[in-house]
Parts: sequence; structure tokens; C-alpha cells
Amino acid sequence: MVVFREATLEDVEALAPLVVRLKRLNEEFDPLLKTREEAIEIAKKYLREALEGGKSVILVAEEAGKVIGILKSDLIERCFYEPRLEGRIIEFYIMPEFRRRGIGRQFIEEAIQRLKARGAQLITAEFPSLNEIAVSFYEKLGFRPIINIYAKEL
Amino acid sequence: MVSDLERMKKERDKWYQLAIKYTKYYAGKFATVPRVPVTKLTDFAIWYTPGVAAVSREIHKNRELSFELTSRWNTIAIISDGTRVLGLGNVGPEAAMPVMEGKALLFKYLGGVDAVPIVIGTTDRDEIVDLVKKLEPTFGGVNLEDIESPKCFYLLDTLRKELKIPVWHDDQQGTAGATLAGLYNALKLTGRKLTDSKIVLVGAGASNVCTFRVLVAAGVPPGNMIVLDSKGILHPEREDMDRLMIRNPWKYEIAMKSNKEGVKGGIPEALEGADVVIAASRPGPGIIKKEWIAKMNKDPIVFALANPVPEIWPWEAKEAGAKITATGRSDLPNQINNSLMFPAVFRGALDAKAITITDEMMIAAARELAKFAEEKGIHENYIIPTMMEWEVYPRVAAAVATKAIEQGIARVKESWQYFHDRAIEIIGATRKTLELLMKHGIIPPFPD
Repeated sequence: MVVFREATLEDVEALAPLVVRLKRLNEEFDPLLKTREEAIEIAKKYLREALEGGKSVILVAEEAGKVIGILKSDLIERCFYEPRLEGRIIEFYIMPEFRRRGIGRQFIEEAIQRLKARGAQLITAEFPSLNEIAVSFYEKLGFRPIINIYAKEL
Repeated sequence: MVSDLERMKKERDKWYQLAIKYTKYYAGKFATVPRVPVTKLTDFAIWYTPGVAAVSREIHKNRELSFELTSRWNTIAIISDGTRVLGLGNVGPEAAMPVMEGKALLFKYLGGVDAVPIVIGTTDRDEIVDLVKKLEPTFGGVNLEDIESPKCFYLLDTLRKELKIPVWHDDQQGTAGATLAGLYNALKLTGRKLTDSKIVLVGAGASNVCTFRVLVAAGVPPGNMIVLDSKGILHPEREDMDRLMIRNPWKYEIAMKSNKEGVKGGIPEALEGADVVIAASRPGPGIIKKEWIAKMNKDPIVFALANPVPEIWPWEAKEAGAKITATGRSDLPNQINNSLMFPAVFRGALDAKAITITDEMMIAAARELAKFAEEKGIHENYIIPTMMEWEVYPRVAAAVATKAIEQGIARVKESWQYFHDRAIEIIGATRKTLELLMKHGIIPPFPD
């Protein structure tokens, strides 16, 4: 039985490795997503700041007391567009052996509820363009692409 | 033992020298032979124009007739991009050709199958798929050969799905099938069952990835197996899992399904309390150590299949308590040899005009091989037939064809006896042809 709950500072140690795993997965899709050596320390700092900043919703998925997934989303004010308040999923990772059990979908729904409660009017997700697994996952949940980010190394 | 090793090395050097000398003398290993009588030029009015136009028209009306009115029914392609040739690695298509010619010779001699070696100038997986699909109208089957992993998994999966003729990758299915055959009898001799043995697979390349799938299909619970690659035991928490998910989903699947106890570490951790180890990793010796074998359950089964040198020598494994050993070598007992599989599997699949070769057909072949050995009397040094026992080939062919009918994928639905007799006839005809060619000096004897 998987439970979802809001992360606290005490979860940082357990969550940071999952963030790093996600970055390493992203690295598979593009050399411009090469993960830095010291990623684990950066992840801890990044999570701590997000938890203290109050602009994020960070959720933990747990089974039998073990952390098996993370979902971090940010609340973003869209100054030109309507609707105004966007909840953007930035980090989303579930440990391999817990995949294909529908946990991902539940996790997203859980996040949507909480973001909605915080005033979000739309939900977005960011991931590497070539991650086809993510593309099909979000499309199945009714998401569609709205903005492209193109890159060119200088 | 040192003298044994020296003897084996000398033996090998001798074969190397002879191979160069004779291959140069005979200038390649195969040529095409007519199937029809030709006594006068007017016969070509039948075999070529104008007569042949009528045959073309028939096939134009019904393409399936190409299996009856052309040699397609017995002709397969051996496809290689030369990226993983024997133990030599990526030597390129031209250097792969001698191996493919040798394979064609085995196909013909042991299975009566006309195999055409085709080495290709691309290593791109989608280009290979495209090419093989375009070759389909010529052939009754496709044998993929010496193609690197994980590309070989993609090619086999994709081509099996998209072609309406059998596609086989011998480095996967041939080795896995022969392994299963040997394992059936090794388990019998040590009083074990496939369903409750703890099996460790060392190496997660072409053959062991396939062996895993086939063992599951044969009834081994996937959780009872532990699989290792060069980085150690596969388990879902390993750091490189996502990388495997993207780059080698076949290995990723194994990591998800195997190893229910969640054992972590390397070969010694995996072997502790195991009944069987099947190593198909890299040449030894010393990849598997004696003291690790000693930690296995009583009377363990040790298959060390790397060539030319097994991961552990059989005598070392036995000193450490192994009850039954097998290798890939012809100069040691219990050779797990895919030449026992592919000629007969294709003979059966072609004669049944099967649209594919399923894992069940492969398991049927393995069972028949095991049964044959059992009937002759299995013991520690005889768990699997040898290539010399050619009576086994028609039996395996018949077992494969019969299974294809049972699974509803055969175009020809005849009896076991029919396929058995037909295989004997076709394979026998090959031998007679060869005898005649040699008798008349068309194939001259070995030069001095």
C-alpha cells in the first residue's frame, strides 16, 4: 500500500538520491543534461530551499515506511497569460520496481489536488523532449504540449 | 592439468593453421547446386524462357506458391553485420564471411537447409530491419548471426513480429535451447526440478538474456533466478537501472522480474545456496572461482559456456564439488553446442512452413534433445547428444514441426512420422550429394 504525503526537512536525505536518479535518467536523453559530479549535495540544498521557500509542493510516496518516489512541483505566477496561477511538476521519480502499478497516476492526481487547493488553475510538467515514456504518460493523463524549449550549445 | 591446457592450445593452433591452408585451397566453402535435370539446352525452355513465364504467372496469382514453385521453401538467409563475431568482436562484414560460410555448411550438412550467407555494410539497427524485410520474398527463413547485444534483441523482436517467415538469432536461441536441453538432464541426474531450483545466470548478453526468457517459459519462476552482468547482480535498486531502461530494456526487464530475495553484490553472493550456474560471460579461466562453487548447494550444476576458455575449467569446478559440468568446447564432455539446435529447428520449421519459431518450439527441440540422450543413457559426462549422433536431428525437426502445428502456426499439417522421414530424406540427400561430389573429384581431397 503506497501512501502519499507532504515532504518535510527530515525527508531530504532520502529524497535527494531520487532527484539525482532523475537527473541521471534525463542525461540519457541529451548531452546538454549532463549531471554534475556533486549532484547529491546540490539536490539536498535544492530540496531544503524549496521546502523553506513556500512556493513548492513536494510530495513523498512511501511503501512500508520506505521512500519510493518524489514529486516536486512549483507554483508559478503567469504575468501575461490567463489562467494566472500554474502548478508545474519539475521533479517526478518513482523507483523502478514500483513502476507499472499505477502509482505514477495516483501520485499526479494527489499533486493536482494539493496544487488546486493552493490556487493553481492549470498544471504543467517539464521533462526532456526525447523522453517518450514521459510524453505518453502525460498524454494519457490528458496533458498536451504548450511551449517548446529549444537549445543550442555555444 | 597444465599439460591438458598445453595440449588444448597446441590442438587449437593446429586447427588455425589447417583452416588457413585449406580455405585458401578450396577458395571459400559453398556454391549453388542445381536441383533439376539438365541434359540438353532445350531443357532451359522449361527451367527458363519461355516455360518459366507460366510459373511466374501462377505465383503472381498466389504469392504463397513461391514456397512450392521456387526453392524458397528450403532457402534461408544468414544475416550478419559482423559486429560480434565469435570471440573476436567487431571485425566487420568481410571478416565475418568465413564464419557465415561455415554456418551455411553446417546448415546444409546437418539440416539439409540451403543457407545463403549475407554480410551487410551497415550496423544501424533500423537499416538492418529494413533490409531484412525487403529480402523476405526471397527466403523461407532468416538466421541472424554474430550481431552485438543489445541490438540483436531489438532485431529479433522486431523481425519476428514483422516477418511471416521464421526468424532466429542463433547466439540467443540456439545457445539458450541447447543449454535448456543439457539442463533438463543435469537436473534429472541430481534429483532436481526446474520449478524449484535456484539458478544463477552469469553474463547478461545475447544467450543468457534469451536463456532467462526460455527458462521462464519452461516453468522456472523468474524470482528464483539471479542474473549478473559485468557490474554485478541485477536488481531494481541498482544505480544504472534507468540507463538500462532506455538502452537495454531487455536487461531492465530481467532486473525487474528476477532475484525475488533482492540479493546484491557479485558472483560469490549470487552463488551462495544456488543449485545451478549458467555462465555465458567472458573467457576465463578465473571468472568463477573454486571457492564460490564450494558455497553452492550440494551437487551443483556448473555450465561455463564462454569460448575459447570457460569461466571455470570443469576439473576445477568438480574439485570444488560440482556434480555436473558443461562447457562450449568440443574437446571436453557435455558440449552445449548450438549446432544441435539450429539445423534441426529450421528443418522442422521449414518443412511445416511455420510462420515463425516460437519459444515453445524451441523448448520442444530442447526436450527432444534431452530425451534422445536419456534414451541412450545419461550420466555425468553425457547429458546432451553430440553433433556426431545425427539421428537426433530428424527427431528434433519432427518435434519442432509438430509443436508448430499444435500452436496453429504451421501451413503444412502432417504427422510426426512424416516430418521425421522427410528430414531423414532431405538430410540424407545432402550427404549423398557431398559423397558423390567427393567421389568424382569435383570436391578434391585435402591437399598435402
